[in-house]
Amino acid sequence: MTSTVVELDDLRVRLGRREILRGISCRLGVSGVGRVIGLLGPNGAGKSTLIRTLLGFHRPAAGRALVLGCDCRKERREVQRRVGYMPETDAFIGNMSAVSFLTLMARLSGLPAKAALERAHRTLFQVGLGEARYRELGTYSLGMRQMARLAQAIIHGPDLVVLDEPTNGLDPAARRRMLRLIREMKEEQGMNVLLSSHLLGDVEEVCDEAVIMREGGIVHACNLEEERRSNRRFIELEVMGRDAGLGGALEAAGAHGITEGGGRWRIVLPPEVAIDALWGLLARQGLLVRKLAHRRDTLEEIFLKAMGRITHTPGEAGDAPPRS
Amino acid sequence: MAVYRMGYRRYAGPVTGRWERFWVLPRVAWRRLFAERLIVALLMAALVWPLLCALYIYVSHQAELLGGMARPLRDLAGIGGPFFIVFMRVQAVLAVLVAALAGPGLIAPDLADNALQLYFSRPLSRAAYILGRLLTLSGLLSLVTWVPGLVLFGIQAGMAGGGWAGANWRLGAGIVAGLGAWILLVSLVALAASAAVKMRVVAGGLVLGFFFVLGGATAMINAVFRSTWAGVLNPAWAARRLWYALLGVDPPAGPGAWESAAALVTIALLLLALLARRLRPVEVTA
Repeated sequence: MTSTVVELDDLRVRLGRREILRGISCRLGVSGVGRVIGLLGPNGAGKSTLIRTLLGFHRPAAGRALVLGCDCRKERREVQRRVGYMPETDAFIGNMSAVSFLTLMARLSGLPAKAALERAHRTLFQVGLGEARYRELGTYSLGMRQMARLAQAIIHGPDLVVLDEPTNGLDPAARRRMLRLIREMKEEQGMNVLLSSHLLGDVEEVCDEAVIMREGGIVHACNLEEERRSNRRFIELEVMGRDAGLGGALEAAGAHGITEGGGRWRIVLPPEVAIDALWGLLARQGLLVRKLAHRRDTLEEIFLKAMGRITHTPGEAGDAPPRS
Repeated sequence: MAVYRMGYRRYAGPVTGRWERFWVLPRVAWRRLFAERLIVALLMAALVWPLLCALYIYVSHQAELLGGMARPLRDLAGIGGPFFIVFMRVQAVLAVLVAALAGPGLIAPDLADNALQLYFSRPLSRAAYILGRLLTLSGLLSLVTWVPGLVLFGIQAGMAGGGWAGANWRLGAGIVAGLGAWILLVSLVALAASAAVKMRVVAGGLVLGFFFVLGGATAMINAVFRSTWAGVLNPAWAARRLWYALLGVDPPAGPGAWESAAALVTIALLLLALLARRLRPVEVTA
């Protein structure tokens, strides 16, 4: 029986006198199926507080949080045994070599000594630190320490890996490597990943679903995997000529279009309607094309709408009523 | 197959139990401490006094040797409570020096490098972390305190024979309990100093200052107020008062053993509270 990876039920967290998480409820991921869940939000939205609550660092003031079916408060040890955590801030033991550090972390997670040592070597090679594994962590660059943090989070093969801003401060090559590792964790190892980031590009690239937070609450949840699979194509079109009949022609061809006036149209093309058909239709209408751009709701647009910066996304504006 | 060819796979093997996971902390810490030459050198130096005491016990049982000595020296040769008190006082000072050198490296680096969130994101509680560090330092200090003390007791019992051990079992128990309480206090002070300041050198200075400065301050208070009650504010004095009671030796003037024990317990609880406050996975600003 599958269950969700993270389940929040009216979760409230107070730090001092401030309420940081204000009664959030959601169900994320599917246990047993490798998925990457994105956690988005501006600074101060409560992403890190949520992560730390799931790990047992903060006690909920009210409500409930379940990770892989275990209560974060009552079954904290079990949650910590099954979760790997890569913190946002620099965290290491400076006067230890990477191998020693990872071996210690693996043994504290419950691996026997021999297995811990062997996995320390393997994991360091996996994250690209194989050649530097005998150097002290204090001599590592920022990017190398970031990879070491990732290595200690995955060395014990957790069911859920929590990554807090994993690509912060990485150069483009290291960023690509980090994202590739995340995809491998999901696709090859079947691990669930909770990725907290303010970099929309990273989330859009690797995440299957995303949750947007703002001021301690969840303002939007979207299934990015479904968005990618839907194959709907949005077209921004600008034409010259008499376009009064274009709407009806589009409907007849199986597409949907809404005019914004001045020759500008937003069109939704279903998968079975080829773009060539649209060109032919425009030619038969005697219209000259000034601009034709393919668009899809990007995560940035979804995010900006959730933040209240825009009123609708292009996909929402292009949605025409379904055909009867 | 070479390890770099193996690739990453999720771990699916057996996991260790709770206590085995807990003992990882002190074992790794001991290995790192014994790799430091200065600490090993100080430990070696701290065993010189027990060796001299062992020699003294041997000489005290050589009748032929004593027969040739002057009378005052013959009178000194008795092995009893006062002898072990002298032994414990010297070893107690050496234990403070070892703790000042070894203690700061146990917690300060974890705080400075932000490593606590890595520890506490694993099935390891704050209490287990503190206990692990306490065991590390107490175990190290045991090597220069009650362990050689017990060995001296054993040597004396063996050489004296005739049921000496049975008649003086209180001395052996007093050595273990008295020095055990001392190393617990010293360990707490060292760990608290290590948690309070992130620089090892400063933390070491704090440990030394706690014992030696407090000793001077309480002596001044006693002198100003012409009393002896400030002794309970000096943990070294309070511990010694406890030893006198445990070993059945006539105590000096001042607060009694119960008052001294209560003072030590209070200091220990305050230090534990400081540790609990400082050792959190993340800093919380209200």
